[in-house]
Parts: sequence; C-alpha cells; structure tokens
Amino acid sequence: MLDVGRHPNIELLAYSEVEKVEGEAGDFRITVRRKARYVDEDKCTGCGACKEKCPTIVPDAFNRGLGQRKAIYSWFAQGIPSTHTIDPQYCRQLNGKKCGVCKKGCKADAINFDQKERIIELEVASIIVATGYDIFDPALIHEYQYGKIANVVTAIEFERLLSASGPTGGHLDRPSDRAIEAEIEELEKKAAKSQKVIGKFEEQHGESSAEFYTRYEKGEFKGDEEREKWAERYKEHLAIVEPLEALKKRAEGFSAAKRLAFIQCVGSRDARFYPFCSGYCCMHSIKEAIIAHEHGSETTSTIFGMDIRAVGKGFEEYKVRGGNNSNIRYARGRVAEIIEGPDNNPIVVYEDTRERKVKEEEFDLVILATACAPNSGVKQLAEILDIEIDRFGFYKTSANQPLDTSRPGIFVCGCAHGPMDIPESVAQASSAAARAVQIVTASEKLRKAS
Amino acid sequence: MTDKMDEKKGGLEEIRIGIFICDCGTNIAGHIDCSAVTSYAATLPNVVYAKENLYTCSESGIAEIINGIKQHNLNRVVVASCSPRTHQPLFQSSCSQAGMNPYLFEMANIRDQCSWVHMQQREGGTEKAKDLVRMAAAKAAFLEPQKDIEASLVARTLVIGGGVAGLSAAEGLAGMGIEVILIEQKSELGGLLRQIDTLGPEGDKASERISGLIGALKACPNVTIHTDSKMQDIAGYIGNYDVTIHQEGREEPIKEKVGCIVVATGALPLRPEGLFGYNGTNVITQIELEQMLKNKSFDAKDIVMIQCAGARCKERQYCSRICCMIAVKNAMIIKKQNPGANVHVLYRDMQMYGTEKEQMLWDARGMGVRFDIYDPDQPPEVKDGNVRFFQPLLGKPRDISYDLVVLSTPMVPREDAPNLSQMMRVAIDQNNFFMEAHAKLRPLDFATDGIFVAGSARYPATVEEARSQGLGVASRVATILFKDKLVTSAIVAEINPETCVGCLGCQQMCPYEAITYNPELNACEVNTILCKGCGCCASTCPSHSAQLKGFKPQQLLRQIRAV
Amino acid sequence: MSRDILVIGGGIAGIQSSLDLAEMGFKVHLVERLPSIGGKMAQLDKTFPTNDCAI
Repeated sequence: MLDVGRHPNIELLAYSEVEKVEGEAGDFRITVRRKARYVDEDKCTGCGACKEKCPTIVPDAFNRGLGQRKAIYSWFAQGIPSTHTIDPQYCRQLNGKKCGVCKKGCKADAINFDQKERIIELEVASIIVATGYDIFDPALIHEYQYGKIANVVTAIEFERLLSASGPTGGHLDRPSDRAIEAEIEELEKKAAKSQKVIGKFEEQHGESSAEFYTRYEKGEFKGDEEREKWAERYKEHLAIVEPLEALKKRAEGFSAAKRLAFIQCVGSRDARFYPFCSGYCCMHSIKEAIIAHEHGSETTSTIFGMDIRAVGKGFEEYKVRGGNNSNIRYARGRVAEIIEGPDNNPIVVYEDTRERKVKEEEFDLVILATACAPNSGVKQLAEILDIEIDRFGFYKTSANQPLDTSRPGIFVCGCAHGPMDIPESVAQASSAAARAVQIVTASEKLRKAS
Repeated sequence: MTDKMDEKKGGLEEIRIGIFICDCGTNIAGHIDCSAVTSYAATLPNVVYAKENLYTCSESGIAEIINGIKQHNLNRVVVASCSPRTHQPLFQSSCSQAGMNPYLFEMANIRDQCSWVHMQQREGGTEKAKDLVRMAAAKAAFLEPQKDIEASLVARTLVIGGGVAGLSAAEGLAGMGIEVILIEQKSELGGLLRQIDTLGPEGDKASERISGLIGALKACPNVTIHTDSKMQDIAGYIGNYDVTIHQEGREEPIKEKVGCIVVATGALPLRPEGLFGYNGTNVITQIELEQMLKNKSFDAKDIVMIQCAGARCKERQYCSRICCMIAVKNAMIIKKQNPGANVHVLYRDMQMYGTEKEQMLWDARGMGVRFDIYDPDQPPEVKDGNVRFFQPLLGKPRDISYDLVVLSTPMVPREDAPNLSQMMRVAIDQNNFFMEAHAKLRPLDFATDGIFVAGSARYPATVEEARSQGLGVASRVATILFKDKLVTSAIVAEINPETCVGCLGCQQMCPYEAITYNPELNACEVNTILCKGCGCCASTCPSHSAQLKGFKPQQLLRQIRAV
Repeated sequence: MSRDILVIGGGIAGIQSSLDLAEMGFKVHLVERLPSIGGKMAQLDKTFPTNDCAI
C-alpha cells in the first residue's frame, strides 16, 4: 500500500470519482471529480494534531461505527495518503458555526475551509475497474435480529474487535458490555459534577449530605430555602449514583466473549437475497475463530454452515487444524433464528442434522458471515463506463476472456468481477494489468503501421 | 582493532555529519524535548550541523536536508524521526539529489521506538532519543559509499507447459511485445483440456477452447513453440538464464537464453487404485467419464458419483477445488442427454464457490440430480451394483443401485514436479504443488526472483482461473523485462576470499541460494543479484569473512558501543 | 495519444494492478472514492492461512 503512495508512476487521486468516459480503447478521455477535503494535500503531513483539537465527535465508518472519530479525520491510522479530511456534514466551521480550532492547531498550515472540489481531465489508453464489493446488510434478515440484539455482529465488525488498532484495542469485549461501560462513564462524569455541587453545600454547612438529608426528611429545615436547594441537588445526585452503582455491579461480571457462534451464508446462497456463494466467508470465519482462540485459549467457536467451503491452497488443512487446535466445532445446517437470552446472550436456534433435533444454544457473541454484495455504485459506474452487468449484479465478462468487460479497453478484476478471496483478487489484478498493457501495445503497433 | 578503524576513518576524508531531528508535529515533540535532543546532537563527534524540523518529510524539511548538505559540505546525514521502513527511501533520494551518496544516510527511529512508547516519561524519553541519535551518528561515521548493483536483462521468457495457463501466459507476454519460448512435453498443445469433453453445463466444447487459445497464440509474433520437449538443465539467475531443452528425436539439445521463466506444468487427476472398487470399467473416474462422453460410448442409466475420492484424507489432506464443479457439470450433461437417467452425487461439502458454480448447483437440483451427504468416517461402500452409504438425515444406511460409479478424484502434482523444483531451485509444498512466494499477496511469484507460477502446477484451477493466472503471470514478468536493466540495492553480502576457509557454513544458511563455492580459491562467493542482504551468512561465518555491506561488524560495533 | 492507464478502486486488486503497471513503466491514475486507499483488506486484522498482518 505504501508503495502506491511513493511510486513515481502512480498518481493517487483519493477522495475522487470518475464522472465521464469518452472515446474508445487506446484513446479514452476521462473526467474525474476531486472532492474537497478542506485540507491541502501538499501541505498536510498527516501528523494528526488537528484531530486531537477538533471538538466534534462522530461515529467512525472505518471501524464500522463501533468507534468514534472527529469531524477532521484520517480514514485509518496507516491510510495512504495520510492527508486528513474534514467531514463537511459534521464540521462546525463548515456549518456556519464559530470554530476553526483545527486550523489554529495545524502547524503545517494545511487547513483550507475555502477549498472547492475540482474537475480534472485524463487521457488514458485503457481502464481497469477494481471497485470491489459491499457488505450485505444483515438487518434485512429479520430472524437474525442484527441491530436489535447487541451481541450479534458482522464478520467485519468482529474483525475490528479483534484488531489491536480497533475500538477495543483487540479485546473481545461484547458490544452490550461496552454500551453499559459507556453508560457508566457517562454517569460517572455526571456524578462527579453533581458531587461538586453538593460538596459546596457540605463544606458550607460542615456536614455530609447523607446526614443532612436524614434530618431534612424528618422535617427539620422547613422553609429554609438554601437547604431546600441542597435537598433538591442531593436527590438529583442520588438519581445518578444509584443506577450507576447498579451498573457497576453488573459490569463486575463482564468478561471477554468466550463462546462464539459463526453463522455462514448470511445473505448468500439465499434465494431471497443473493443466490450465489460469496466464496471467502467460510475461511474468514475459520480465521476469526482461530485468532479469537489466540486471544484467549478458553474461547470456543461453533461454525454453522451448509457446506464449509475450504477450497483454496492450504485451506482444508487450516480448517482441520482449527478444529483440532482452536476449539472449533463445525455444525452443518442453516440457522433458523437468533433470540436474546439472559445477560444479553444471543441464543441460536438450529437443527442438528446429525441428531435430527431442533436445538437452542446460548453464546456470548454471534458473528454473521455476511454476503459479498455487488457494490452499491455498480449500476452508476456501469452507466458511466457503458459496460454490462451480469445476472448476479457484478460486471460481466466472458469465460474466454475473464478480465474483459463488454466494452473493449475496459477490464475488471477482484470482487467487482464476482466474489473471490485475496490471492485470486491479486492474481486477477495482475491479469487485468496485462490486458490493459496489451491495449497500449496494440494501439501503438497500429499507429506505427499507419 | 579500534585503532585500525579510526585510522581508516581519518585516512580518507574528514567526516562531516548533519543531523535532522523531526518533531513530527506533536508526535515526537509532544512527548520528548526535541530542542534538547538537537542541541545535544550538535555536540557529538564529527557532527557539524544539527537542525530541528517540524516535519522532516515535508517539502520544507527535505529542502533543509538538501541545503544542509550543500552549505555545510555534509558527507553523512542522520535523520532522527520515524521508521526507515516508510521514510528511508525518501530521505535517501534527497541525499542523492544533493550529490551525496545515498548509502551514507542513517536513520534513528525516535517516534515508533521512543516518543510513542514513552508518552508519559518526557525526561527518560528525551534521554533515550539522545542515545538513539548518538548511536546512529556513531554508525554513520563508519558508513561507506556504495553503488546500486546493475545487471543486464534478456527480454525473453521461457514458458514451461502448453496447457491453458501456459498458453495464456505466452499469449499475454507476446501481446505485450515480449518474446516467448514455449515448451510442451507432449506432441500437441492443450494440456489436460485435450482429455475433456465439455467445459460447462451448456456443453461448450473443450476442443474449441483449445483451438481458440492455440490460434490466438500462433497469431502472435515472437513466439517459438517446442513440443515433445523437456527442460534438461538451467543455469544463471534473474535476467540471464541459460536453459537447455531436450526435444524428443533430436540429438543436439536446444539452448535458449531467457530473462524469466514461467512454470505452468499443470497437474493430473489421481488414479484411485484400490478406492471404492475402482476398476476402470463400471467404477471409473470423472476424466474417464469425460472420455466416454467425448467418444459417445456413454450409455449408463443409474449413475452414482462419489466426491473426495482420495482427497481430504490422511494421504492427501487438501481439497482439490474443482472436482465438485466437474461432477455437477457432468451430472447436468448426463441429465440433458437422458432426462430419465438417475444421477446421485454423494458428497462431504459441495465446493461450488462463486456465482456461476453455485448457480449450477441450483440448476442441477432443478434438473433432478440428487445430492446426499456422506460422513467420511463411514464412507460409501461400492459392491456388486449397489452403493451403501449412511444417510445422516434419516439416521440409517441407504442403498442405491448403479450401473456406473464415477469417482471424483483430486488433481495431484506431476511426478516430475520435485525434479523441476530442484533444477530451478524453487519451492514445492508438502503435497508437491509449487509454492508461491506469499499465499495471499504474491500468488504468482516464486520466492526466487525471475521465476513465476500459474495454473494447476500451483494448485488445482478451473479453466477460467488458469487463463486468468496465465495472463497475470505475463504482467508479473513484464514488471521485470520492460526495464532496460536490473537495478538492485547495494546492501548485499561480500565474502573475503583471503580469509574464507571454504567451510560452506554460509551456503547452508543462505535462504536465497546466493552463495556458491569456488574450488579454485577454496572460498565461497556471493551472487550479488540473488543476495537480498538478510545477513544470515555474516552472522554464521566463523572467520568474519562474510560481511553485509552497510552492516559490517565495525559499523554495528560502533553503534552498539555508543549506547 | 496517451499510454496512461486508469485504475478505478484502491482496494487490494486496484493496488496490485497499479503497482504492476507502474513497475512496467506505465503512468497510472488511481482513483479512489474514499479518503485513503486500502479497501476492505485494511479493515482485516490478520489474514489466513499465514495469519499475517493484513496491512
């Protein structure tokens, strides 16, 4: 990734979109819209001083909304380019409020609130489409209650939970527990504030609020306005502290998620959504289960799937090793539904095909292996590029020329072409590069001949 | 030894070190006192200039390095900032720009290894940064100028194997203007596809696909095809291989000079001797079924296909990726020919990954092909016209009568794969498939530079995958052969023949096979093109004859003693 | 006429295409919709079967 940033032959146009394509193979004219970052790419060094100062907190899309970022942000810590970007939806200054804190904090003088989007024109011989895929929204499958049961997450969200650079620093904390911890933090802040308020009364009157309140309840201070206020504030304080203590007690029992369930084919191989197999998700789940086991050796995982498709090099061996060494159980079948049990524990309802029984099993966390859905921008880009889409929603190619789209000179690779895993994407990317160069070679030859 | 080193240092030229301390905004300066580190750096021996930058990597920071070199006649530059992994190339090129040899540059990481890990310890962190800077400066004084290594390139490629992957690689290369020599063991091109009848349930003929591929290749200029040929010997390295090819019926071997090599030797379906009553007549393999379909001798009515015959077992743990697809395709072809035929597929997991294959599985079910799971602990028994298997959904055994059993056997590597691997010094895995440089990020490269792999020689691949990989390999080759010459880093090992006793210790340690023994000198020698500068040899050599440029003992010792 | 090549998408596939082309000596314009390249793979913690870091 870093090599892209510093390769002299690569012009990186991040935060940009292709708007128009004219011409033909060997001679395309492209219009690209460069969105305004409100940060000067040439000046920004990616140091991050701006985001430390920024007062506006927003959900972090990179961490799948599991964490938070500021209104000025880098997409992720090791992102290339490291140029920061101001989110115009949230930035106070850009929304007419007084702020500009980031500009003051930027020693490189890179912040530019007046930056406008730019249109640039390119001339190219060929085009490679590598626009990838989208993650299927599992909320569409009502029986799995994603978004309703906190401890049902997607595979990519789980990936962020496993990651040391993720929102939990790599601890397998359950979303329900994290929500309660966040609530505790919030209440603690409030409690500290109200403690300050009643503290003043206590200092003034030389007695603890609890003692005072007992006397007050007995009716000792009737008509004393000052003490009425104190009692009022103390009641407010109790209303914060009592639930806080209860939550804290609950949080004492929290521990990392240990009983994991992985549910395969969420949106894939499902006539209601996508009939196709997303290819990589079985291995993704196995990998996550193995890594989770590395995080804590008591972790157990159950992978529910119709088939476990471990079809790549070394994959079957990896799968078997996971079963032998990482406490993974493979259960055949499609999960019927997920319900919420006590302690926010999700309960998986499924048919055990070996014992021919419908069973309910309780887990700490359920991970949904979501389908590789065609990119939401696929139709729009197909129109811009004037290329065809296949019956599954991916860019269409032919069996004989697996990289060629329906328009000569435009090639496709990776998951824009159909679901595939990383090595296949990498191999296809090289193939598309070869096809793209062949266009250059051929049109140069033509030119020489004429 | 110390005196000698000092003498060497002083004898050549005056050492003039410039040190640039980066604040990295607040990343470094927020946690340690960079000004204190800078004024300390200025007091170090041989240091003639020390400068603090807000961002050394920014345009103004780079300009300060360039001006510093010019104004202060610097002949060594140290940057104390972040990681050399990300920024060393940038700083080195700035040094070159100012006319200083880039190998006289040294870096100290005072961010990742200092300010970031000692965020709450300003004083201690500042002291550690001083230590790191002092060490880097001590080493820098003893750095030597180096020149990048350059070698010539022969802009031709040898492709081994004339199947889909090899044909596609050759076509891809020729289409990019690179000369190709293709060798094929058999007398005709096409590989395994020649034995196959159809490629998909619609009945696309494999023979048509082959002639299309061969036609496209033969239309390309600069392609030489040697059939009935095998590689006999190979010498040389990336950019300059000398290959000897033996062609059947020809006495003189063919000699070719090439810059890169593509291995596309394919794989073969396993002959399942002793499995499920295999007899080649009414218990056959999928490839034998293909031949029956091809010569129209197929007339069975009750067909049972058994998946994973000889795969995903103790002898062959791997899943062969394509056999489920082949079984479903053939089942559909049979049903199309005779809708009354009964086709049963007994499987463990149907490996119909992706869009089209999964669709085939749905369509096959729609056509009436029956799919049943079997348990590998209770494999199906094939006996006297009856297949018995345990049906887990019913919880009891089931019997199906057959007139033909078709075993879906895995692809296995060719027998000569180990031999080829040894000859070319490229790796094979425990199953004898060729092993790529990195399972995820470099699927088409070997760890050995200049040699690449595509198709089923690496791992079983469908026709489409083999074609895609073949084209992809062409691109990988072009990244090397489109250049005028090969340029590699000067940070390589060297062996002093005067002191080397020829013990071969280094040769055994070298992961890149870059070391050879020269009997005339009784000493080992380093091939600087193959050497990657890992330093294994240097750390092994008992006589200190093997040393790594830029990391010689006197350079490292200076650095360590400065702690 | 131009010899340049346009790559749309800065995930692992777009990155690999761009690097191959750039190494071959072609000028590449890599267009990415998001603020940084890296795509989905940058969100992965580690990759199988080697369990290497994804970035």
